[in-house]
Amino acid sequence: MSPTVIRGIFDVLSLSSVLILLVIGMAIIVGMMKVFNMCQGELVLLGAVTAFLCGKYLDNLWIGIILAPIVVGLFGLLLERTIIHRFYVNPQGALLATFAIGLIMRESLRTRMSTQSSPVDAPIQSSIDIGGASLPIWRIVIMVVTLLLALAIGTVLLKTNLGMKVRATLDNPDLVSVSGISTKWMYAGTYALGSALSGFAGAMIVPLQTLYPNLGYDNLILMFIAVMIGGLGQFGGPLAGAALIAVPGAILGQFISPVTGQILVVFLAIIFMRFRPVGIFQRGR
Amino acid sequence: MFKKGSTRRNTAILASAVAMLGSLTFAPAQAAQTVKIGVLTDMTGAFGIVGKSNKAVAQFTINEINKSGGVLGRKLVMVLADSATDPAVATQVASKLVNQDKVAVVVGGVASFTRVAIRDVIAKRGKTLYIWPASYEGNECSNNVWNTGSAPNQQVDPVVKHLLSQGKKTFYLAGSDYLYPRNILARVRQVVLAGGGSIVGEEYVPLDMTDPSNLVSKVLASKADALFEVVVLPGTGPFIKGVVDGGFKGTIAGTLFDEGINPIIGKQADGLIGAQDFYLPVTDAFTKATVAKFNKQHPEAAGLFSATFNAPAWYRSIYLWKAAVEKAKSFDTAKVNKAMDSISLKQSIGGPVSFAPGTKHLNLPMYLGKSNADGSNTIVKSLGTIAPYECAKKQ
Repeated sequence: MSPTVIRGIFDVLSLSSVLILLVIGMAIIVGMMKVFNMCQGELVLLGAVTAFLCGKYLDNLWIGIILAPIVVGLFGLLLERTIIHRFYVNPQGALLATFAIGLIMRESLRTRMSTQSSPVDAPIQSSIDIGGASLPIWRIVIMVVTLLLALAIGTVLLKTNLGMKVRATLDNPDLVSVSGISTKWMYAGTYALGSALSGFAGAMIVPLQTLYPNLGYDNLILMFIAVMIGGLGQFGGPLAGAALIAVPGAILGQFISPVTGQILVVFLAIIFMRFRPVGIFQRGR
Repeated sequence: MFKKGSTRRNTAILASAVAMLGSLTFAPAQAAQTVKIGVLTDMTGAFGIVGKSNKAVAQFTINEINKSGGVLGRKLVMVLADSATDPAVATQVASKLVNQDKVAVVVGGVASFTRVAIRDVIAKRGKTLYIWPASYEGNECSNNVWNTGSAPNQQVDPVVKHLLSQGKKTFYLAGSDYLYPRNILARVRQVVLAGGGSIVGEEYVPLDMTDPSNLVSKVLASKADALFEVVVLPGTGPFIKGVVDGGFKGTIAGTLFDEGINPIIGKQADGLIGAQDFYLPVTDAFTKATVAKFNKQHPEAAGLFSATFNAPAWYRSIYLWKAAVEKAKSFDTAKVNKAMDSISLKQSIGGPVSFAPGTKHLNLPMYLGKSNADGSNTIVKSLGTIAPYECAKKQ
């Protein structure tokens, strides 16, 4: 294989794993909890900021990557208990409230940054030579981590007792609450988990990009499309949805202009949703 | 003879009468002795950092002029307007500057979308002079509008010729998908082909593209001798990082590298080349002293005096306008507009400048610069004064 072909395949894997990593947190909050969380991008951003600060002041991005899910998870918990829980009965309200939260977070960062964007160095900066193509190791780390994380979260949600309680809560809160489980903390915990995963994604991908206020927001539309294609009410669908838009996007991008490629992918997504409005894995109602 | 007591009383009355007279006659005189300058920039939004620099440079220049006696005996007063990186807001605040504040001149705009939004409000309908202080994509030839940043040929030609002279034959062109990169790269293409080089690829990415992997792969696959790139923020850093770390062997050139932007790219900025009207190592006595004075007086914007933040262009804009007013002996827009065409400054940041008659652009001293890993710049060579190919002299 020529280096160009190797790079091409690598790009497809890398771009898909980045989008899947970004979507994991959203798959829980939007996909499973059905909260139209417009500030999901800013949860990613908060994770990126945590990593950036640890890189800057502690000179160690690894600490940032470990701290990011904890910080953002706690923030998510706080957010759910103070604001989000008021809007479970009012999805339109949730849309506006979370949009406002995202806006506040994004713009507060903008006013505090002394530059338009700041570079963040990956903890592993070297590249590996495969068949003449020089491939950055950090992107390979992201691929592996994304795969393991998706499997781990999927297993917890689908195979464990805790996961069953979470799914039951989201499916039928009344029944769960009469069974003696605190739905209040189930919801809060699930939202916190989704936040933590987004924060982690932010910390992982910020070295590939730079830290700038629109870091999460610029990805939000693609993340939402992934969830819509994958279907609401489940965890695995949105991840498959992410792969389904990232793979053709990355392949098209190698042959046609990125602008046309991006338009085409969204166009294909709309057509897909016309024929499978309930998502990839669910049968039509 | 007056009694002692009454003398004192009379003195008091006289003093208060003088004071009253003073307050009556001097106050209007004071107001008549000032003239308002509209300073329009993005204090908030994505370009807030540039606005911070622009405001400080404008204030610095106005203070300097006021200290040396003002313009035609009048002190300058800065009226700051925040265009918020939003063309709709820019139109509103520009209209306020012209219609409410009645400024004598507006200097401002960071991005071309702002210029296009406010140009007619100020220069055409407002019949007020508008100075656009930014390096940009060219073709701004409207009446009452004057360009004080570099035109495409001034930034592009010397860089491409330098690359060709170093034996670089094949060029890859990459930019963000909007007017500025497209016009700059059109000029690059023209000069490359005229100089016997060839274009092996040209690609534009959406402004909000977050991961430029595809473009990086295309550049690497092209094996071009040189990459000329105008991918704007926030894509600049990731793109250059990807190309450098991917093992690109050629030289990377662009129009947006200097001390203001290099730190955003990180250590991969090492070796980037470009041409600007100013880099920090420009060491003629005037430039050195002025920049040092600026950093001392404006600690809040120290380190933001850079070419890509348009600092030199803002500084000379206000002095060019001052010179034109003095030549016209009037603040009247039509008279100043007429005088502008042949105005020159013997000294300015980076060296002397003069309007090239009929072009509405400046003959600018330019420098070929190379970025270093620590974000600083080295001057490869001083290019001398370069004439603009704009408006009447378009080539």
